[in-house]
Amino acid sequence: MDAFLGGMAILADPYIMTMIVTGTVLGVVVGALPGISGSTTTALLLPFTITMTPTAAIAFLGAIYCAANYGGSITAILVNSPGDPSASATAFDGYPMAQKGEAGRALGMSAVASTIGGIFSVFVLIVAAPLLSRVAYNFGPPEYFALAIFGLSMVAAIGGDSGVKNLISGAFGVLLATVGLDLTTGVERFTFGVYELSDGIGLVPVLIGLFAIGELLVQASQLNVVATMLKLDAVRLPSMADFRKCAKSIVLSSGLGTFIGILPALGATTAALVAYNETKRWSSHPEEFGKGSIEGVAGPEAANNAAVGGAMVPTLALGIPGSSTTAIILVGLIVQGVRPGPHLFNEQPQLLYAVFASMLAANILYLMMGLFAAKLFARISLIPNTFLWPAVFVLSVIGAYGPNQSMIDVTVMLVAGVLGFLFRRYGFSPAPLIMGLVLGTMAEETLKQSLIIFDHNWLGFFSRPIVVTLFFVTAAGFLAPALTRAWRIARRKAA
Amino acid sequence: MAGPSGQASWRHSDVGSAAVALAIAAMAFAVTFTFDTVPAALMQGLGAEIFPRLVLATIAILAVILALQARNRAPEPQDAIHPMVYATTAAMIAFFGGVWLIGMLPSMFVFLVGVGWLWGERRRTLLIGAATGTCIFIWIVFVKLFGIVLPHSVFSELLF
Repeated sequence: MDAFLGGMAILADPYIMTMIVTGTVLGVVVGALPGISGSTTTALLLPFTITMTPTAAIAFLGAIYCAANYGGSITAILVNSPGDPSASATAFDGYPMAQKGEAGRALGMSAVASTIGGIFSVFVLIVAAPLLSRVAYNFGPPEYFALAIFGLSMVAAIGGDSGVKNLISGAFGVLLATVGLDLTTGVERFTFGVYELSDGIGLVPVLIGLFAIGELLVQASQLNVVATMLKLDAVRLPSMADFRKCAKSIVLSSGLGTFIGILPALGATTAALVAYNETKRWSSHPEEFGKGSIEGVAGPEAANNAAVGGAMVPTLALGIPGSSTTAIILVGLIVQGVRPGPHLFNEQPQLLYAVFASMLAANILYLMMGLFAAKLFARISLIPNTFLWPAVFVLSVIGAYGPNQSMIDVTVMLVAGVLGFLFRRYGFSPAPLIMGLVLGTMAEETLKQSLIIFDHNWLGFFSRPIVVTLFFVTAAGFLAPALTRAWRIARRKAA
Repeated sequence: MAGPSGQASWRHSDVGSAAVALAIAAMAFAVTFTFDTVPAALMQGLGAEIFPRLVLATIAILAVILALQARNRAPEPQDAIHPMVYATTAAMIAFFGGVWLIGMLPSMFVFLVGVGWLWGERRRTLLIGAATGTCIFIWIVFVKLFGIVLPHSVFSELLF
């Protein structure tokens, strides 16, 4: 409790509060730009944390994460072009509302529902993350290895539609994690004589390249797409009648979003789509959905922001990212010398409570911004691509160069960018590659440590109940779709 | 969907993706044989090459599964890569030459103006103004505030 209050006290520190306000404004502004997702926003703004203290950097990243998710809904409602994939469900009813001249009502409800969902999930995070970390506190290398394998198996579910492609992408991420000096033997691997690669491939250049430069090249092929913004009437608070109508969907979606967010690899986009369907199913007016239903805005917005806090639970408690954006935040923490996991809760609890405090503050801040400055943010979405994306490139260059001040990192970023473009073109998602890169080092290190513990007997893993359970869950995750399909075929034949 | 003769079709783009993944895995596997060896007496735990090989074997298996899954699917029509993608990539590569020749900040300015123009922006004053503003922002925030030393041009290296 003392640590929690201490964490909350950071909100009284003017420097930290400035970072939270800056992170929230930048998150909403960049998140509102069409084509720039929450992951890209976080990747692009990560270099700003280089010279910050760990607490300020973590507060800054937490604020960006929350705000970028909300920012995506502004363009979804006004331009029908979600700034973030998680806001795609918001566009289903938000844009028709804007077409009917109710853009302000939709934006107001979006801000309120996002805040309620976001704050709900932060409270779940505050309760669940320490509990989960307590369970994981006695984990040894074998358990962490099993956890890393479980996390890697989960990449099949994130990103694109093809599980096999996601796994290939994730495996390439693990392969990239092996580049550099092998810490056990001192042998250089895949460095090809480039000494800068001895420390391994930088996480920051790879993720900036994959997300920002990859998207820049996608935008280069879509220059003829012109966004037109609808007229925005005064942004106002939803009426009491609107609240009464949406209360059920906000409560339902906040719970659903948080739960889906906690599950590894299932992020805000899944949460928003599931919440949209459930809101429609439980609504008294399902016929209004798709034609401008305010419930259709409230449900997905509450859910996608609730998923933000949910996804932070495994990230902070276990060091296993719950989504691509949390993988980037994990990188930000690692760059600051902080490795999330159960030990962090005992060793540096104030850092974790700084995350909680910043996320709570960011939720309240973007509510105010959403209600009083949405018109301004909406204008940002109209910045022409001819100015926006070249600026994204130079910011990416400085972001990749900054941490080590090395042009090799800029080269890595460019190669990763081209790879990111090709990945998108051929249906591979870049998110699993980042997950693989983050979890790869953990998987290799813990495998080696485990084998030393087991005296090189691979069967030793099966003497640990938690490891066996995690392996079983991983295998079940792989086999379940095939078994379900076989069962359906057998049932059809029997019928 | 099988081919016209009822035989498996291998024309889906996923087959090509799988072939590329397999080729990369094979090349990387070959590279693992060039890793330095550690004397057995000093060896503790797994060798440096074992984990990468395990990963590469996994990639190979997944690539085969991807190809097998795609073998009977009809090829999806795919547009050729837009020429602007090549032009933008070329501009990004040229940026590296620019950094060597004139330094990072001037290269950024040239890139902002050049790619903006390449992408169809013809309002010169606005283009130059936005590029100047972005470069000033980067200089203030990253150079002055964060203390990042940007790479100088080859000429300034020679002069100073």
